[in-house]
Amino acid sequence: MSAPKRRISPDTWAVLLALVAALLVRIGTINKVPW
Amino acid sequence: MANSATATPAVTTQPAKSLPLQILALVPGILLLLVVGYAGKYIEQSITAYKVAHHAVLPNIEYVLWAILIGLIISNTVGLASIFKPGVATYEFWLKAGIVLLGARFLIKDVLQLGGKSLVLVLIEIVFSLVFMTLLGRVFNLKPKLTTLLAVGSSICGVSAIIATQGAIDADEEDSSYAIAAILALGAISLFTFPVIGAHLHLSDKAYGLWAGLGVDNTAEATAAGALYSDAAGKVAVIAKSCRNALIGFIVLGYAVYWASKGQADRVGNKAAFLWNKFPKFVLGFLLISWLASTTFFTKGQVLALGNLSRWAFLLTFAGVGLRTNLRELGKQGFRPFLVGAIGEIVIAILTLGLVIGASHYFNL
Repeated sequence: MSAPKRRISPDTWAVLLALVAALLVRIGTINKVPW
Repeated sequence: MANSATATPAVTTQPAKSLPLQILALVPGILLLLVVGYAGKYIEQSITAYKVAHHAVLPNIEYVLWAILIGLIISNTVGLASIFKPGVATYEFWLKAGIVLLGARFLIKDVLQLGGKSLVLVLIEIVFSLVFMTLLGRVFNLKPKLTTLLAVGSSICGVSAIIATQGAIDADEEDSSYAIAAILALGAISLFTFPVIGAHLHLSDKAYGLWAGLGVDNTAEATAAGALYSDAAGKVAVIAKSCRNALIGFIVLGYAVYWASKGQADRVGNKAAFLWNKFPKFVLGFLLISWLASTTFFTKGQVLALGNLSRWAFLLTFAGVGLRTNLRELGKQGFRPFLVGAIGEIVIAILTLGLVIGASHYFNL
């Protein structure tokens, strides 16, 4: 029997999305974020 | 977010949706979160502009409360159409992303200092809550596993802890939904009572934020209750709440081992893997971003941009808190679990308030 596929949890996706956003801000792709 | 794809072998005959379709199904609800959240922000800005233009004296009501109120009105009058539900359920996703990005607004030494103080108070709160809720459940003759779920929900972090514990101790879905309904209803009440009590007692931003983080159960509500008081209080509430969340694995593991020893749950194999699986990863993301922001990795402008991204993520979260709270549905759940939860919450709120006032006195919060 093959091992069940491990899924990335939504929480981990949220962390990854935030880290990617931080990286985009760091390299200048996202310059200004108005509030 | 919906995680039906990870559930037990399929009982339904419907084929699973492909990933693009699943993502597409989220769009209407996410747009609704954005519209409701932005409407809250627009109302706050309009009132502020009116006050300045007319020198009027009006209470300063943050966008947080407007977004929650608009969401509550929609969900409890016209109701939430099913097309919006999957997207609205992503509010916790935005909460976690927002907390990670919020790390940019903290220096790591402040996080560790405040986190250290919070952790001591959190440990006292958790031990007291678990013992008190367990005794209360026995007094009201609730089912033991329902009592466990309520104890975990009120001591650690609301819904996430209940769901994690339900799986670990093989509790009934019905018990889990009772406990979740009680915690959500009490969280909604906390949103409106904590800021009023905090203002009445003239608590500082730090003291109030700490209290909200310790006393309000669900992370979204704790963040909102903090932000309703002030921006600074919201930040402190997130740190205190994250300290509670970080301990979720240990408490769930303890209960899993206890119920397994009684032969009423599966045995836990690899305990380290169990703890890692339950550990909230957003705490690590928050610490990483805070550490990077404390070095020269980001410029001041970039830190500001990250802080604003965090605010946008929270805006979606607060809209979701209102939209997913259906008071009629919550009212249909069992009365006794609600009563046990309510008594427990009031006592825990008083205890944590006393702890925070004591800590304020000794640590000058």
